[in-house]
Amino acid sequence: MANSDILLFSSSPHVKSPKTTKWIMLNVCIALLPSLIFGIIYFGLKALLLVAVSVLSAVVSEFIYLFITGKKFDEIVKQFDYSSCVTGLLIGLTIGTNYPIYAPIFGSAFAIIVVKMLFGGTGKNIVNPAIVGRIFIFISFQTVITAYLSPNIASISGKTLDTSATALAGLLGQDGVQIFPNLSNWDLFLGTGLSGCIGETCKLAILIGAVYLACVGILNILYPIIYVIVCGLFTVLLNGFDFAFFLPSILSGGLMIGAFFMATDYVTTPNTKIANYIYFFILGLLTAGLRQATHMEVVSFAILLMNLTVPIIDKFIYHRPFGYYKPKKEAK
Amino acid sequence: MKKTNIKTIAVDGLITSNPTFKLVLGTCPTLALTTLAINGIGMGLAVTFVLICSNLLVSLLRKVIPNQVRIPAFVLIIATFVTVVRLVLDKFMPSLYSALGLYLPLIVVNCIILARAESFASKNCVLYSMADGLFTGLGFTFALTVMGAFRELLSSGAIFGVKLWDFEIAFFSSSAGAFFTFAIFIALFSYIESVVKKQKKIKDYAELVKLKEQSAFVGTTEAK
Repeated sequence: MANSDILLFSSSPHVKSPKTTKWIMLNVCIALLPSLIFGIIYFGLKALLLVAVSVLSAVVSEFIYLFITGKKFDEIVKQFDYSSCVTGLLIGLTIGTNYPIYAPIFGSAFAIIVVKMLFGGTGKNIVNPAIVGRIFIFISFQTVITAYLSPNIASISGKTLDTSATALAGLLGQDGVQIFPNLSNWDLFLGTGLSGCIGETCKLAILIGAVYLACVGILNILYPIIYVIVCGLFTVLLNGFDFAFFLPSILSGGLMIGAFFMATDYVTTPNTKIANYIYFFILGLLTAGLRQATHMEVVSFAILLMNLTVPIIDKFIYHRPFGYYKPKKEAK
Repeated sequence: MKKTNIKTIAVDGLITSNPTFKLVLGTCPTLALTTLAINGIGMGLAVTFVLICSNLLVSLLRKVIPNQVRIPAFVLIIATFVTVVRLVLDKFMPSLYSALGLYLPLIVVNCIILARAESFASKNCVLYSMADGLFTGLGFTFALTVMGAFRELLSSGAIFGVKLWDFEIAFFSSSAGAFFTFAIFIALFSYIESVVKKQKKIKDYAELVKLKEQSAFVGTTEAK
């Protein structure tokens, strides 16, 4: 009887980590801040307004959903992790500054309510909410948007891009002719003189955020690097081993932000290491192939497609339990 | 088994076995044609006409058609009326005819019509079969019109072609939007139905309790 006072019984997990969902999501928010800051420098205060509206509507729609389902206000506040902030930030960063102010509101609300909350909240969504929100905006308000705006800062190399097209549009031959981007690779890397979305243009900022996440231990930086390099190499292969395509193809469009922040979402990636290598490898092939075939920026669509295959990958590639051996076939 | 009369047929066709929202039949025209409310009405009324006429003929011939060849016979009857509808629409409403396009001849193999012929008209008398055709068709028309109005309102800011505001969400005119709208309406329909059923159950239970109390009261007085 006395022993039960000395011995402490508790069920697993026994090792507790400070890495709660809240902490991880807050860190992802911090990692996205450099992109946001560069976006504001490049595109002005309209960028800040769009991102703020996007984040706010994402959080508010989560609160409204929980309120409708009958939760009390203090309960909602208590369970709030910053995941809807991350979703809102990503949606805000992947739209251009000439989008109307209602676009991120609808995108965020759709992403949070339909993709996340209807499937059961954080950790239960089968696809990344931010990806779906971006695609929703892309499909819905395409008629309103004709071109991306170019930033306030001129390019280093002194050359200018045609105002109507992004660098990627020319590279993919959107108008039937494959035009090599007029900008130097440094311009593509820094986003100077490059028209595009708020958070996508400056790759340096994205890399700073990704390195921060890797240092904190949230992101395994190998996975997105596999994705980016496979995508670049496959583009080279498709263009007849012309290595001039390698850097422009990985430095333009939404590949970087997609690879480092959207594809690596914990919920929508496979569970084991080998499965993750396979996942990101196929993702790279799919992105490069679809880009070449459709002459469009398809990073978000490729990630969406691969998100849907995660349950299948997980079904066939799983962690071998310790001490497990294959049962021998019964001889008959 | 439920007693068949016009009232139960009407409730069945419109609500409890609404072909679109409850049985999920005829999904192909539902998803493809609900981009505009007027298309929904046109398609729904065409199907209603074919349903009434085919149910009438199938019910009349139900003792003549041998059981082994009933499906080809039904298809033949349906195809006759679909041809009539196509010719009439082509002559008098060419714009609707071109909007419905391929889905008009496809009414021949529409599973709502085949299902009603197979499961109702070939077993019931002529009057009931016609009523069933009418109400099932109206249920289909109602579903298509509501969905079409919803999608038209969101995708072009208009309803029945009347522009209300200048705001568009093109998502709802795409096929993904069609599936999304369909799911929303099925959920809404089931929810409303379950609420109504619950209310009815509570009411029935209250009446039952009342009856029991009365009978108990009567019983005790008799015992005294």
